[in-house]
Amino acid sequence: MRALGRTLLANYSLLVALVAYELISRSGLVSPRLIPSLVVIGEQLWRYMLNGDLPYHAGISLYRAFSGFLLAAVVGIALGAAMARSRWVEALFEPIFTFGYPIPKISLYPIFIFVFGLGTGSKVALVFLECLYPIAIHAMAGMRATDRVLVWAAENMGASRTQLFFRVMVPAALPTLFTGLRIALPVSLIVTLLTEIIGESKGLGYFITFASASFEYGRAMAAFVVVAVIGFALDRFVVALRRRVVFWLKDVPAIG
Amino acid sequence: MARPPRWVGALVPLLLVAVWEIAARRGDAPEYLPAPSVILAELGALVASGDLFVHAAASLYRALGAFAIGAVTGAAVGLAAGTLRAVERFYEPIISLTYPVPKIAALPIVFAWFGLGDVSKIVIITISVFYPIYIAAFFGAKGTSRVHVWAARNMGAGRWQIFRRIVLPSALPQLFNGLRVGLALSFIVMVVAELVASQRGLGYLIAFSEEQTRFDIMYAAILTIGVLGFAADRVLLAVRRRALKGQLLATAEAR
Repeated sequence: MRALGRTLLANYSLLVALVAYELISRSGLVSPRLIPSLVVIGEQLWRYMLNGDLPYHAGISLYRAFSGFLLAAVVGIALGAAMARSRWVEALFEPIFTFGYPIPKISLYPIFIFVFGLGTGSKVALVFLECLYPIAIHAMAGMRATDRVLVWAAENMGASRTQLFFRVMVPAALPTLFTGLRIALPVSLIVTLLTEIIGESKGLGYFITFASASFEYGRAMAAFVVVAVIGFALDRFVVALRRRVVFWLKDVPAIG
Repeated sequence: MARPPRWVGALVPLLLVAVWEIAARRGDAPEYLPAPSVILAELGALVASGDLFVHAAASLYRALGAFAIGAVTGAAVGLAAGTLRAVERFYEPIISLTYPVPKIAALPIVFAWFGLGDVSKIVIITISVFYPIYIAAFFGAKGTSRVHVWAARNMGAGRWQIFRRIVLPSALPQLFNGLRVGLALSFIVMVVAELVASQRGLGYLIAFSEEQTRFDIMYAAILTIGVLGFAADRVLLAVRRRALKGQLLATAEAR
């Protein structure tokens, strides 16, 4: 009981925000249709969870996000490792990554629709492209920054090139690599939702767009709650995974 | 092994463009891939007619305006939360809960609340930009060395002086990382918001020319967005280099 009280007290601002929202919704200053009460959102959430609509669309969005993310992880890590190991690979590909990084790749989406079709293909392709950048850059940076003394020590003890790679470089790169993956995972979800908002007939992004286009803002917010829970759960998952895999390092924020 | 010359980096893109150009001229490329020379000619025509500037100005106004609002509020709240316990206790639970949430999914709801004009776009861009900048400012300020603060206090510095001379400089490198992430985000969200609903702007130009199957205009608009995003990033990096002059001395970046 006391622990519960302490949690509530530590998070009092969340309660303040929720109460403020509910008061605005009930005050009648704004149409309750536009800003539906939390009760309404809860009802809609309950209804569309039970009839299977929200789980169905969430599954589709997650499938797209994960496929693009996994592809980007495989290619990005391989490419990052190659760039860190070979000067020629680096000279060939590194400018594409440094110069392409600040360019909003989402503007290519209309082309992707033409190449890969309006369905899952174009979405996975764009997720792949957006996730590839942070993953490859961090993989390269991580391997590049391997402590020279560690490499010398391994070489001195007679490690082969493969051993050097898997036993020294990869573990040394893991923390940075994880930063890249942690940046890319929410990006995969964001890009999926964006492309679904732009044009699709399936997925959570579509569900929200369709509900707001039908002036059902309560339903749209219920879907947004599902999006929020997924995003939050994913982040917790990565943090927990990071703690297990790179257990020797303390938590650091994703940025920086 | 000798270091490969720098021009090697241009090889892959040049090769791609060359293959693209040849394929398009021979008629082997699909319709949605007009020759690069055709795209450049269209870009020139758009510049000459002034249309491109109208759209680019509308886009930049939204993206940079919202970036400025998000940067100032994010940095202010983040620095305040990083230095004052009371501010941290209020904001941290809200932000750590909502940070991993893809806020962009609320785009249709924001359009419903604020209309289809500039306001809704600036609102959604500001929200997206706020988070990474807040986080960077918060952890930057939190990471201030205690010894420095103690030393300053010992030498009789006031609270404002400590903030201005100790906390702010040590938070700046992190803050700039956040600003860079936020700037890139502002362009992404701008393009998306304009693709979904707008009457002007580069994102609108893409959506419009795609409907008209004028792919040359579409690529010209995409190219412009890329150049603008890249240029904005370079400007920010130049500002960063000036602001962090002393702190970058020891790193590889100072050249």
